[in-house]
Amino acid sequence: MKKFFIRLNYTKGFNVLKKGFWLENQVAIAVLGICSSLAITNKVENAIAMGLGVTFVVMASSALIALIRNFIPSQVRMVTYMVIISSFVIIVQMFLKAYFPSLANQLGAYVGLIITNCIVMGRAEAFAVKNPVKYALVDGFASGMGYMIVLLAASTIREVLAFGTFLNIPVMGEGWVPWTIMALAPGGFFVISLFVWFIRDRQQYVEGGN
Amino acid sequence: MNKYVRMLSFVAVLGAVSSGLLTGAKYLTDDLIDANADALLKSEILTAHEVDFNFTNIHDVFAAETTIYTYDTIYGDAEISLTYWQDNTTDRVTIQFGPTFGGGVWGPIIGLLSLESDFNTIVRIAILQQEETPGLGGVVATRTYLDQFVGKTFDEGLEIIKGLDVSAAADNEVPAITGATRTSNQFQIILNNAFTTHASVWADNAESRA
Repeated sequence: MKKFFIRLNYTKGFNVLKKGFWLENQVAIAVLGICSSLAITNKVENAIAMGLGVTFVVMASSALIALIRNFIPSQVRMVTYMVIISSFVIIVQMFLKAYFPSLANQLGAYVGLIITNCIVMGRAEAFAVKNPVKYALVDGFASGMGYMIVLLAASTIREVLAFGTFLNIPVMGEGWVPWTIMALAPGGFFVISLFVWFIRDRQQYVEGGN
Repeated sequence: MNKYVRMLSFVAVLGAVSSGLLTGAKYLTDDLIDANADALLKSEILTAHEVDFNFTNIHDVFAAETTIYTYDTIYGDAEISLTYWQDNTTDRVTIQFGPTFGGGVWGPIIGLLSLESDFNTIVRIAILQQEETPGLGGVVATRTYLDQFVGKTFDEGLEIIKGLDVSAAADNEVPAITGATRTSNQFQIILNNAFTTHASVWADNAESRA
């Protein structure tokens, strides 16, 4: 068993996974996807929807970019990523509206907002365009899940303090006085900043350091 | 030279493929999206009118139980067409509100306002489309919030009030959404404008319906 873990530790897939989840967490270390993190972490259900949506889109767009990476001229690579990501998101949005209207209704603006998430473009440029499809898929999954974990943690704190609920179920009793600030953007800044500090402190990460 | 030809060819292929995919997806989904929107509108109206239906007989039930009136009028400088759905049994009337009567903070708030036969007391409000901030202004579309309007009247104009004590609320008062004062204000404007315009045209055309 020990040998298995030692061997696993030296596989590229496992290291890509570990980096995406923790060592290069997209929110805490790369400081990407902050706009959406601030906007949607006031409810846990929003965090789940956004986290899953971004994970799916990062995986799919990274895989496609990795597949055609040898044909993409370097001068137009950013435009290419943008076209692929936005086309992909629009098609998903159309099919959701046509075949799963209630799910599309629940996700609302989130699906469209995924296009503007820096993590999607960031992983395409930093990883997918230089690696084969299988690793691009693992990286997309790990980056999306790393983002979702921070979102879930932040939204749990914000929803409980702002609304006295968790997944819309009351958890704080009737006398609870809501902290309205936690439902607003400043509350998002406080909580996300605490997580950035916590994760960087645990990793002893220094900006610009080795 | 070859480099530029390759780049232009790639951009042309990328543009053609993505345009083709988006056009194809639109062709495949357009009819279904329209049908879903039509079914949603009818289901919300029948629910407000307390008519039993299911998704296999919704169109037949709607045709049998509802009379549709359409009147043209001038609103501001523009000529608009107003639609009223009246229940054949209870005389409840449903009207639609949308961007003509005011917008939300980030986009239009489109929905249905159902009134008792007195054309004054609210039976139900349903939101069909909105783009408010998820978790804040987006609460405007939740059933819990909208149910607070049931039984309220337009006699003195509807008022959405910040920090309102619900137990002491008057017949025209509804609490504002916590942390979304601008959405609450806009929603008040939309509902009052839509009601005033529809009520006056409905009264003007009473003889034609007799």
